[in-house]
Amino acid sequence: MKGVCNKVLKVDLSSGTCKPEKVPDKVYEYFLGGAGMAAYYMWKECPAGTTAFNPANRLTFASGPLNGAAQSGAGKWSAGAISPAFNLNSDSAATASFGIAMKQAGFDAVVCYGRADKPVYVVVDDGRAEIKDASEMWGTDAYQTEDAIHAAQGEDFEVVSIGQAGERLVRFANIQTRKKSFLGRCGLGAVMGSKNLKAVAVRGDNKFQVADPEGLKKLNKAINKRLLEMDNGKPEWLQIQKVGTAMATELFAPQGNLPIKNYSLAGWPEGVEAWHASNYYKKLKVTPWPCKHCVIQCHNKTHVKQGPYAYEGKGPEYESFAMMGFNTMCADVQAISYACELANLYSMDTISLGVIIAFAMEAYEKGLITKADTYGIDLTWGNNEGVVEFTKKIGLRADGIGYLLGEGTKLAAEALGRGATEFAVQMKGQEIAAHNWRAQYISALNYATGCAAGPNHERGNSQHIWVGHITLPEWGIDHVENDERWSWKNAGDRNAKFHDYCNVINSAGHCKFQEFRAYTLSDLTKTLNAIMGLDWTVQDLRECGERITTLQKMLNVRYGWQRGHDFQWPKRFFEPVSEGPAAGKIPIGLGDAIQEYYAVRGWDNDGVPTPELIKRLSMDEYAAGM
Amino acid sequence: MNVQIMCREHQFPPGTKFRAVVELIRQRLAEEPMIKAIKAKTGQDHIVFVLNGRIIREPAYDQTELQEGDDIRWVHPYFGG
Repeated sequence: MKGVCNKVLKVDLSSGTCKPEKVPDKVYEYFLGGAGMAAYYMWKECPAGTTAFNPANRLTFASGPLNGAAQSGAGKWSAGAISPAFNLNSDSAATASFGIAMKQAGFDAVVCYGRADKPVYVVVDDGRAEIKDASEMWGTDAYQTEDAIHAAQGEDFEVVSIGQAGERLVRFANIQTRKKSFLGRCGLGAVMGSKNLKAVAVRGDNKFQVADPEGLKKLNKAINKRLLEMDNGKPEWLQIQKVGTAMATELFAPQGNLPIKNYSLAGWPEGVEAWHASNYYKKLKVTPWPCKHCVIQCHNKTHVKQGPYAYEGKGPEYESFAMMGFNTMCADVQAISYACELANLYSMDTISLGVIIAFAMEAYEKGLITKADTYGIDLTWGNNEGVVEFTKKIGLRADGIGYLLGEGTKLAAEALGRGATEFAVQMKGQEIAAHNWRAQYISALNYATGCAAGPNHERGNSQHIWVGHITLPEWGIDHVENDERWSWKNAGDRNAKFHDYCNVINSAGHCKFQEFRAYTLSDLTKTLNAIMGLDWTVQDLRECGERITTLQKMLNVRYGWQRGHDFQWPKRFFEPVSEGPAAGKIPIGLGDAIQEYYAVRGWDNDGVPTPELIKRLSMDEYAAGM
Repeated sequence: MNVQIMCREHQFPPGTKFRAVVELIRQRLAEEPMIKAIKAKTGQDHIVFVLNGRIIREPAYDQTELQEGDDIRWVHPYFGG
């Protein structure tokens, strides 16, 4: 297959051995790479009965065919494993250059399994792999680890690493790369910790041949030019290079999409003002921090030079400040951004962390926990310092409530008892992301049915039909009326198409943010054809997405998913807010919508892929391992 | 004459200017809350139009005639999250 390395690196941490393995062409044709490749190795090697911290769990870091192309957004890559949060198949994506460097090192993926008997890191240097002692790095944060590896191996290595939260098995631990991008969701950092794997470093000079170099060059030029010109003439607060995803504050507020006070309020004017893009820009003094080849440049770097929260580093993205700021009612932009960066150092997902701190605040308000439990920290809503301090307690797994909260909202609520599960905003063990289901019911459907990331926004993204006005015109979603956000009209079909769309993007190695900027499914299809030598239509691309989603669902069945898991909704889903654009809106009919979604997908009433679907997708051999 | 707007076929008489598409989309999105919010703040909706893969802006709306088979897209001003 053109455009890829046609092999992966298998790393057996138990025996301390590494070996390359050839990948058949059919795997790329069926699953592309990235999220699809991670799912494929789960299917191939990880048996039923495996749980997240079992050595048999496969942690696969996987690039996509687009990684390495000089096209905006072509730096995204994925990792997958059984999630410690919900013990089902999961994946998560990051940017920066690790995926590209992995291919340059000669491998499309690095598949890690087993458990090392002491802390280690893996070095892949131009086709040669070695497992090295990481004992001296154990106990350091994720950025210090990257620095140590750069010092030992060379600055030109791309590194993924975990901090203390990953080592100590916080169930929402993340994995960082280049101090700016994160495999945020699903707790994959804790899987690394469970394997005594502190980091992986890759570099190389491998040149992978694309099928049509000239065609790809022309495509890249036209697409990059179009994306680059999108923001011309817009005010600064609508220019992505200026503020990153902070522009969401002003635009989400009129839709009722923000998560406020553990998802119990509809509006918070003080917060909207504080977290407005112009204030974000002013308080954090951010500058663009682009990924390789990206012209959109949504990542930014802070330059806070003075004060208790001085730091230069990752500027929080929407999901981070929404959950750590809005959801806790904290309006000090510098303090909460600093707390987000602390989470990055310790390696924690800021979405889950924001939910669980808000959960703790509500428990504190209700008297379920007191200062005697919270190390004397005041957990009143809006206490910025409290959020900073609790980030440390959870990240370092301090004895007591800090340790308990590191188990995630579901387990913490069950342990606290006394009605705490009533306000635990989670599904299947993972915290809900920062798009409010009251603003568009399809968010609830997306959270309930996600196959690879639990209740995540980003692996379905169907909320963006309204929230961000992403459409999939090639697949029949060209325009949706605003008031349909509170109906279930075509919701199953739309949700299915968005799940498949996310899967092809996450498997191809592309960034979904380009789609907010006129990158189309036709662009992606042409690019894949030019790289891989395929002759796909946009409908072939859809079928590929269907295959990946179906494989993920079959994996979940293998690991114990049952229909009832999709129906265990947070009680808060059905608690209306009293004011604002989403006042009174609750997703009544969600159960029927889930059943419709199953039917649209070709799954049976229990949500399991039918023999007819498996035959249509030519996936019989995969179904045998369900 | 057929053109594709977001991959859906639309018919226009020969000689129609691109402005007709702009007005059609603006009318369709006029009540969309995010567009309303942006327009209230900036005086413009900031919707971007793409004709056959290239961005088209004023004053080209009145200078460009639609052609059979044109591929037209519009892009919402909002980004990300």
